[in-house]
Amino acid sequence: MNLDVSASDAAFREEVRTWINENGPTEPRPRDSKAMREFDLAWQRKQWEGGWAGIDWPVEYGGRGLSLLQQVIWYEEYAKLGLPGIDSRFVGNSHAGPTLISRATEAHKSFHLPKILRGEVVWCQGFSEPEAGSDLASLQTSAVIDGDHLVVNGQKLWTSFAAVADWQELLVRTDRDAPKHRGITWVICDMHSPGIEVRPIDTIDGGHEFNEVFYDEVRIPLSNVVGDINDGWSVAMSTLSFERGTAFTLNQMLLSEAIEQLIKLVKDNGGIDDVEVSRALAGARAEVAALRAMTYAGVSRNAVRPEPGPEGSMLKLYFADLGQRIYRLAVDILDSDGMRVQPPGRFGEKDWVGDYLMSYSFSIGGGTSEIMKNIIGERVLGLPR
Amino acid sequence: MDMLPTDEQEEIVSSVSSFLSAELPIPKVRAMFTAGSSIDRDVWSKCAGLGWFGLGLSEAAGGVGYGLAEEALLFREIGRHLAPGPFLSTLLAARVATAAGLGDLAQALLEGEKVAGLGLPVDDAEVGAQLSGTFDLYDTAGADVVLVSDSDGAALVDVQALGPRPDEECIDPAVKLSQVSLHGLAPLAYVPETQEPVFLRGTVLTAAGLTGIAERARDMAAEHGRTRIQFGKPIGVHQAIKHACTEMAVRAEAASCQLFYAAMSVDADRPDAAYQCEAAKLVAIEAAYKNSRSNVQVHGGMGYTWEHDSHLLVKRAHVFSRMFGDRKYQAGQLISLGPVQ
Repeated sequence: MNLDVSASDAAFREEVRTWINENGPTEPRPRDSKAMREFDLAWQRKQWEGGWAGIDWPVEYGGRGLSLLQQVIWYEEYAKLGLPGIDSRFVGNSHAGPTLISRATEAHKSFHLPKILRGEVVWCQGFSEPEAGSDLASLQTSAVIDGDHLVVNGQKLWTSFAAVADWQELLVRTDRDAPKHRGITWVICDMHSPGIEVRPIDTIDGGHEFNEVFYDEVRIPLSNVVGDINDGWSVAMSTLSFERGTAFTLNQMLLSEAIEQLIKLVKDNGGIDDVEVSRALAGARAEVAALRAMTYAGVSRNAVRPEPGPEGSMLKLYFADLGQRIYRLAVDILDSDGMRVQPPGRFGEKDWVGDYLMSYSFSIGGGTSEIMKNIIGERVLGLPR
Repeated sequence: MDMLPTDEQEEIVSSVSSFLSAELPIPKVRAMFTAGSSIDRDVWSKCAGLGWFGLGLSEAAGGVGYGLAEEALLFREIGRHLAPGPFLSTLLAARVATAAGLGDLAQALLEGEKVAGLGLPVDDAEVGAQLSGTFDLYDTAGADVVLVSDSDGAALVDVQALGPRPDEECIDPAVKLSQVSLHGLAPLAYVPETQEPVFLRGTVLTAAGLTGIAERARDMAAEHGRTRIQFGKPIGVHQAIKHACTEMAVRAEAASCQLFYAAMSVDADRPDAAYQCEAAKLVAIEAAYKNSRSNVQVHGGMGYTWEHDSHLLVKRAHVFSRMFGDRKYQAGQLISLGPVQ
């Protein structure tokens, strides 16, 4: 155990801070999906041009080949400026990207990974279905082999940014007779393929990023399969371990900034003398510190074991509960402003009400807290199923 | 940066754990509830022989030369094993005696020949070149000196100088509690917090004890969930139990990560050390309180019997949470600080 900061990490942080300060976006982020896509990709391209894309990705695919710690340092500095989550770039950068790095062929990696880093493409996820939510392995969207293609029919749900995405990490059933976990295939789906229909679903905060996706005789080349046919469950599990582990790092850092902004707000308006508010803020600040320490522990484990383990689920659980309490506290503290929906502001201006509403997703998206608790109870504590 | 324990640190944990299991098993701990003192002198000298009381002191000062992180590993095990006795005040007293130049006393404490109980001020009692006001005394029965500490500094006093210390029954039967009123008592030594952060180290090490309690409660509840059969199945198949145990695991993990981050911040003399330590204590208090409560609940009727060990965790958590500040104090300190840069 040590907190030593190497000279190179310290210099790296300085370099990151200076660059983000000079180059971070300052215009409001549009709410319209297509404009948002262009905005997000422009920011990704700027990071690529500045040499800040794929910090911990391998050099051969356009990354910097640096450590996960340095990626975390980037996120910390990024969060300090109040820049938003990586949203439409999330699946590409933190989900599909790492899965391709870990499981895909050379051809897939060299084709897709640089496009993600250069800000040329948006990825989305096609896992959940109307009858396959927490019970993901019961998914029914079918894929039948026809020559050198898979022919896909079915429906996916809760697909963020599907309407503006170019590629999708898609789970399909390729064997109906096998046990449910053994008949699933993980395939890269071109979202511009004929037969794909995307219908928007508005979210709790009035946002338009959510969608359902319908597949009608969609033909996907067999060469797009990652892993083997019917081995998609193990590929999906490595995807989910990224989602529940390292992919949430930025969210944690943003929460850390949120509590600090809230404390500053309360100190500035003299509300800190209210004992109830002050205790609640102190408790939240302490827990955010612990969340950061847990993140660092995850980084340390990553150095000896690259794929996140069940500890990632603990981090997600802690984050979800804490985040919901902090945003609830924020809208309480805002008093009557806590019921006023805010127009999109400058980058760096916090939309407390919108963030409060979206905090309801923390304990659902990426696996519900109930499922996370089953996973930890069974895999970490050895409790019976 | 590395948050994982080294092999050497793992070795400290396993050696402390096997020592406490062998020398202070729960039946022996329980037998000490009715003894006049919480100090088993025989066990005490063995602990001293293992270097416990000088774990974080330099070798030049007769210590082992480790840091607060290793001391935190030790106290997490002491908490987990519910070991009675003034371990914390003795370790801190050796540090104060060293800083004050009381070489003979420091050596006697390090070697286990002398033991230091703990004195903590009540309300606005004064700790300094003179001690005045009311002080709670922990485990001073059978001790030789008392470490008295507040956030401004730490003093050592001879136990005899305190006058009569009538026994009071503590919520935790392992703790020998009493109270004294002092009027300008001159201590053997006084060391300001700015010279030697004794109160801050005490804060971290009580957080360590609380973390050990949180982990022990988690393990006891999970064990019961795996083995207790009702309705023909282990009760841990039910999410009401499984999720309660998982929440305990998450709280213990958070407390442990923050504990070691805080301890290392002190060792590295980082500017945010105080911030991290107050946070560690707050998170550890919540983890120990909630986990020990949940453990009682998971054990059902047995959970609130004297015979079962669940209540010992509840009680130790309560006493530890009040040492070197409490929830209110730590919250006030933490919120008064600026953000970590």
